[in-house]
Amino acid sequence: MTSKNSTRLKDSLVEVKNLVVRFYTYAGIVEALEGVNLHVKPGEILGLVGETGCGKSVTSFSILQLVPSPGKIEGGEIYFNKDGKVLNLRKLDEDSIRKIRGKEIAMVFQEPRAYLNPVYTIETQIGEALLTHRMEEFLKRAIETLEKTGKGSSFERKVYERMLKKPKSRMTRIMAKFCSKKTLKEEIRKEVIDLLRNVEIADPERVAKMYPFELSGGMAQRAVIAMALSCNPIMLIADEPTTNLDVTVQAQILKLIRQLRERFKSSILYITHDLGVVAELCDRVAVMYAGRVVELADVYELFKDPLHPYTKALLESIPRPGREFKSIPGTVPNLINPPKGCRFHDRCQYEMEICRKVKPEFMEIKKNHFVACHLYGGSK
Amino acid sequence: MSSLIFVRNLKKYYPIIGGIFKRRIASVKAVDSVTLTIRRGETFGLVGESGCGKTTLGKTILRLLKPDGGNIFFGAPQEIINEIIELEKTNPKSKRLKKMREEYDLATFSGAKLLELRRRMQIVYQDPTTSLDPRMLVKDIVAEPLVAQGIAKGEEAKKLVLEILERVGLGEQHLYRFPHEFSGGQRQRIAIARALVCRPEFVVLDEPTSSVDVSVRAQLLNLFKDLQKEFDLTYLFISHDLSVVECISDRVAIMYLGKIVELAPTSKIFKSPLHPYAQALIESVPIPDPTKRKERAPLSGEVPSPVNPPAGCRFHPRCQLATDVCKKEEPPMTEIEKDHYVACFALMKR
Amino acid sequence: MSTKTRWERLKTEWAPRIEEWKFILRRIGESPLAIVGIAIIVFFIVIACMAPILAPPQGRDPFLMPNDEELASLTPQPVPPTTRHIFGTVISNQVAGQYDIYYGCIWGTISAFRIGIMVVAIALIIGITIGTISAYYGGILDEILMRFTDIIIAFPGLVLAMALVIAFPTLIPVDITQIILMLSAVFAIIFAAFKPERKFVLPTTIILVVALYLYLNNPIILSMNLTKLDKVLISLSLVGWPSYARLIRGEVLRVKNEDYVEAAKAAGCSDLRIITKHILPNTIYPLLIVSTLDIGSIVLTAAALSFLGIGADPNYADWGNIISMSRNWVSKPGLLVQFYHTFLIPGIFITLFVLGWNLLGDALRDVLDPMIRRR
Repeated sequence: MTSKNSTRLKDSLVEVKNLVVRFYTYAGIVEALEGVNLHVKPGEILGLVGETGCGKSVTSFSILQLVPSPGKIEGGEIYFNKDGKVLNLRKLDEDSIRKIRGKEIAMVFQEPRAYLNPVYTIETQIGEALLTHRMEEFLKRAIETLEKTGKGSSFERKVYERMLKKPKSRMTRIMAKFCSKKTLKEEIRKEVIDLLRNVEIADPERVAKMYPFELSGGMAQRAVIAMALSCNPIMLIADEPTTNLDVTVQAQILKLIRQLRERFKSSILYITHDLGVVAELCDRVAVMYAGRVVELADVYELFKDPLHPYTKALLESIPRPGREFKSIPGTVPNLINPPKGCRFHDRCQYEMEICRKVKPEFMEIKKNHFVACHLYGGSK
Repeated sequence: MSSLIFVRNLKKYYPIIGGIFKRRIASVKAVDSVTLTIRRGETFGLVGESGCGKTTLGKTILRLLKPDGGNIFFGAPQEIINEIIELEKTNPKSKRLKKMREEYDLATFSGAKLLELRRRMQIVYQDPTTSLDPRMLVKDIVAEPLVAQGIAKGEEAKKLVLEILERVGLGEQHLYRFPHEFSGGQRQRIAIARALVCRPEFVVLDEPTSSVDVSVRAQLLNLFKDLQKEFDLTYLFISHDLSVVECISDRVAIMYLGKIVELAPTSKIFKSPLHPYAQALIESVPIPDPTKRKERAPLSGEVPSPVNPPAGCRFHPRCQLATDVCKKEEPPMTEIEKDHYVACFALMKR
Repeated sequence: MSTKTRWERLKTEWAPRIEEWKFILRRIGESPLAIVGIAIIVFFIVIACMAPILAPPQGRDPFLMPNDEELASLTPQPVPPTTRHIFGTVISNQVAGQYDIYYGCIWGTISAFRIGIMVVAIALIIGITIGTISAYYGGILDEILMRFTDIIIAFPGLVLAMALVIAFPTLIPVDITQIILMLSAVFAIIFAAFKPERKFVLPTTIILVVALYLYLNNPIILSMNLTKLDKVLISLSLVGWPSYARLIRGEVLRVKNEDYVEAAKAAGCSDLRIITKHILPNTIYPLLIVSTLDIGSIVLTAAALSFLGIGADPNYADWGNIISMSRNWVSKPGLLVQFYHTFLIPGIFITLFVLGWNLLGDALRDVLDPMIRRR
């Protein structure tokens, strides 16, 4: 098993192994994730599918160590392959992980206007992201512009140079306060407009000056995508970004995501509950149920030959005209007292004795097709 | 099939109040002159994107909102309807018209007549978390229509409540609990029980499966079908999820910015949509089959604001087939094929 | 269906709500400050109930502090705590005689409870009614009611209360039939505004007719002179209701547009039913919290009024009144120490009382807030 892991680590960008997350609430301990395994390869779109409460959002937050309290990550590893160096994101301290958040791994959420600050314009917010992560680059650009045009005081230029050399000294900060920094702001503004144009927002100059509540859902989502891509992240985590959008706008955003993937070569972890979107967009798919990934395969493979009973039932329950609606009997288990063994066993039509007692392991059954089920020998 | 609901030129505008004196400075034309017929016993699907007015239309038919124009007929005989239409064209101020409208036209109802209506028409909302009073027991929530309309109370009401709860798949043990103790699917069942407890004829289903999971969705849809057969119900199924509408509706109407653009039997409208917007909409739905991927997004731009809709045909700024007449006049609904209506000048020419 | 006894049926009916309350009590019990607050209040309740035993009344009105004439003839100054007068005595500058502070504090507890609870109750009733009608019906009614509320808020509370108390005798010859008539008129107007079901019209007209008859034919048995303290009570409630009105108006505006209110309309509920069964139960929680905090502050305000001499009768058993009496004796710094018992002891009573209600109010807010959000 270990040898398989290390080869995977070499060709995957992010790998989550046996992630365990628990929430300590008044009602009890919620076993949100009990051993999630998945990996994202560079340049691919991995879809993470599952119903409400299965833990897909928690998984995505865990990768960036952003699990909201009362949740705690209590087990497993999260590996991030950064330029050949493998980092364990769980073991990083707060400063290092903050450098990764937004810069290397960026996130896009379901309701864009809930995650944009309503009292600042789009320009200000994207500008803030740029300043946080690409400050040096913009300082250099500002200095260049000053040299080329010859406008602007030499004091401004001195401030920029000082900010480059000694960014943390108190003197620098005092000088920066007195300086108008017009050129720097102008550079940032140009970049913001460029970014907005990249995500196909018409009339980006006007939109940049708008507040989030003035934007429609589709535009706000594009703005958030622009913000996420502003620092050229190598991986984008998209948590149900099109669920709240109209179907025609969703089609536009999906097309945009495909184009951006082509252009920037970033990987995307795309979380959704819509199997149609998964089929349209993703290269590989991971199916989650009640806190575990139960199947992970190439998208064509998954739709043609699903192995896990839950995946099969999920595909059957998609409404098709002329056919009766097939539902999955029973309900999602309460994660405060989850069933022992396989969490799907009480709804599974292939339930066996062992399913009630032993948790099936996540194993590679066919080439690049992983399942966690006793039907395929889930126990070692 | 006889028509149960006939809606003619229905309008619902929301005023925008502004200025120092708080006057109506503009209106959101949520529903702008909609005409449609719902036949007894059928499931009529109403689709469209956000802001098109489908929920407003459903609530206006139910008279939860007061219409700003048009007629709504519920179970009225055809001769009466014809006479009213005739009188409106020839003699709009006649007393006879006023009397007939007060008798048959739901748009004019108020007070006691409206209360009577509530027994025959009901609604199931989209989000069962907010549509059930969180401080009331399930028993009281479902019994409310009975008590409010004076049909039954006390023990008798409890009996009827139990009956309907069992039909939707819940039981006696659920009576004395609060809504937050149930899952989303169960809450929606409670909402359905509440809608059906007074045995209505017509039920508006406002996106009833949008807030529940995919696996529960199928259970609810099966429930709707069974209940329709058992109680002889007529449904107005409002949804933005076209795949669900395709499976459950007999006929479908597509709305855009307060107007109906296409109305046809389900299979026809999904296999061969005629209106450009209908085509784009149906084309945009992602198909759960990776071998059938589409690379293009059929429609660009955004839906314009309903405060200032484009002149003429509402869709013309985004339409490939737009011509001059489309920019000036609104296209009427024409029957292109049997039972297949479209509102589009470009198609009329053919 | 199983046949159950009446008792069993009632139990099943109320069981879920009892569970809810048990949950709330458990959460309150987990917070130590809350327990302290409740203990203080219980302590005061016990004192109030046992007042006749702890401090036996002498004379007609138990609320008038008895005069120790024997001591009065001995010393012209208040006496510090002795065995005979446990908390010492105080002398008023209006009525002669030595008054036992212990007696005053014990019976003052009852006064405090009476003022606190009654003022808050009346203010709540007025405030909730006006705020709910204003928010539910909106439009021009909302504008008028809210501007009226604003006018009252614009006055400084204490000053307005003082003015009302002083003006009371000259404003209206207060007798009970007038009050009944005014209340029933207001009641009838509210009912008319709600457009109620037919069955309510008859009882309302009967009430109105009876009230009118009583007013015109004024049987003497019903006329009652309000004590000074009652005037304080009424004035404070008239000054205090606007904040409740605004608070509940905000909540009703939020709840008014929820789906379940519209669903109730779709079920055929009348406005009155919607307001009483749907809107009020969901909006009342913030008011409960604020009103427990207010009970404490109302007692403080009443004490302030008594201190200024506007409150109770001269030797009435009321904490603020005792402190007002002590005012004459602590005019110089040296005297503060000599006559400490005259203001310190009633002061401690007031402080503890207000503290108890504040702690309870805080605990309630901590408990009820997440419970509301849990839904």
